[in-house]
Amino acid sequence: MLKQILNKFLILNDVQAAIVIQENGEIIQSMKSGIVIKEELQGVLATIMLDSKKTAAEFGNATISMVFVEFSDYFLILGPVMEEFYLAIIAKNTANIGQITYEMKKNQEAIVSQL
Amino acid sequence: MIDQLPEGESIGWMQAPPQWIFSHTVRFVGIVRVVIHDGEGFILIKKGNALVYYFKHGRIELRGHAALDYFNSQPTIEINLCKYTPEEFSEALRICTIEKTVLKSADVQKLAPIVPGPEGVGEKTADDSSAISLHDQSPPVLLEPSALIRKEPVTALPTKPVASVTERQVIPQPAILDDPSIKIIGQIKKLNGIVAISVFNDERNILLMGDVEIEPLLKIARSMLATSTKISPHLDWGSFIHMTLQIPEGNIIIAPYHENHLCILTTRTINIGHIRRILRDIQQDRNSGIPV
Repeated sequence: MLKQILNKFLILNDVQAAIVIQENGEIIQSMKSGIVIKEELQGVLATIMLDSKKTAAEFGNATISMVFVEFSDYFLILGPVMEEFYLAIIAKNTANIGQITYEMKKNQEAIVSQL
Repeated sequence: MIDQLPEGESIGWMQAPPQWIFSHTVRFVGIVRVVIHDGEGFILIKKGNALVYYFKHGRIELRGHAALDYFNSQPTIEINLCKYTPEEFSEALRICTIEKTVLKSADVQKLAPIVPGPEGVGEKTADDSSAISLHDQSPPVLLEPSALIRKEPVTALPTKPVASVTERQVIPQPAILDDPSIKIIGQIKKLNGIVAISVFNDERNILLMGDVEIEPLLKIARSMLATSTKISPHLDWGSFIHMTLQIPEGNIIIAPYHENHLCILTTRTINIGHIRRILRDIQQDRNSGIPV
């Protein structure tokens, strides 16, 4: 079921991967297209999640709504789903960010129900 | 006098140490409006040469080096760089010259009535109009960088008139940000939803536009920068464009900017797409070697 939800992201233009991941880098479920998720990437995602949580806490103990990291070829959007679980979307820079974030919000409850 | 001066083209308000003004205006022609507490003043600058310093708080007026010393006694000051056309610059100089003539004839170099200033600031007028030439034709006054940096913090306006100072010569500091860069930062700051924008490097904040405390913002920006530095070598995704942290209060964005970094604080309502395009353009120009 979680795969079906993640697949909704893959049908969006230029989305390469949709991953439900824990803060420690453990992948709960993923759907990908034309991308290999190596251990290195898991480490990167874990670093972003943990560091961002810490950074947000410095800002008046704020919680993260979303983290967006963009490079010239790809970008990454990380959104908290519940507790230490996050949804990560990897896409080419030509992908529509608005559409992706809309789908992330729309599907959050459905993802939570599967965890 | 301030009200009579031409408006000029505003690049935007920012907070910066006074020394910053002199190291970043080597190609700037115009007026730097200064606000300190409830007082306001200006520095008339022509390509790195400060021709007129002026500050007024209530009935206290500071001119020339007295004004400069007061500016330099502040760790940071609120400034607004406004570019002048040659006509506007001449007009501003003319106004300053007339003002000086009027002042001289009225012999206002004497002490003014006691008026409490900001933070218990000096109680007397320190008029040092003799220090700076107000005429466009006269050689510009160059200031030593060392003269611009006070070694000891000064919390009050000078209470005595500053001794007559002859022209001090100096080499302007190399500019860290040039005019177009400052203009770009100013344009970004003007966008809807931008609360503050800072240019910083590993050592210090270089420029801040917006009404925020810089230290907490820099701390967060540096944490984000550290994260991006940690992850970038592990991703074969091209050059780093930006990292945005969205929290309920708004967004914090960091991005490379020349050899420095940008930190942008925005509201939640910001058009992220717009900011993203600007940051991508900056990155592209940087990669293609076009000065931004």
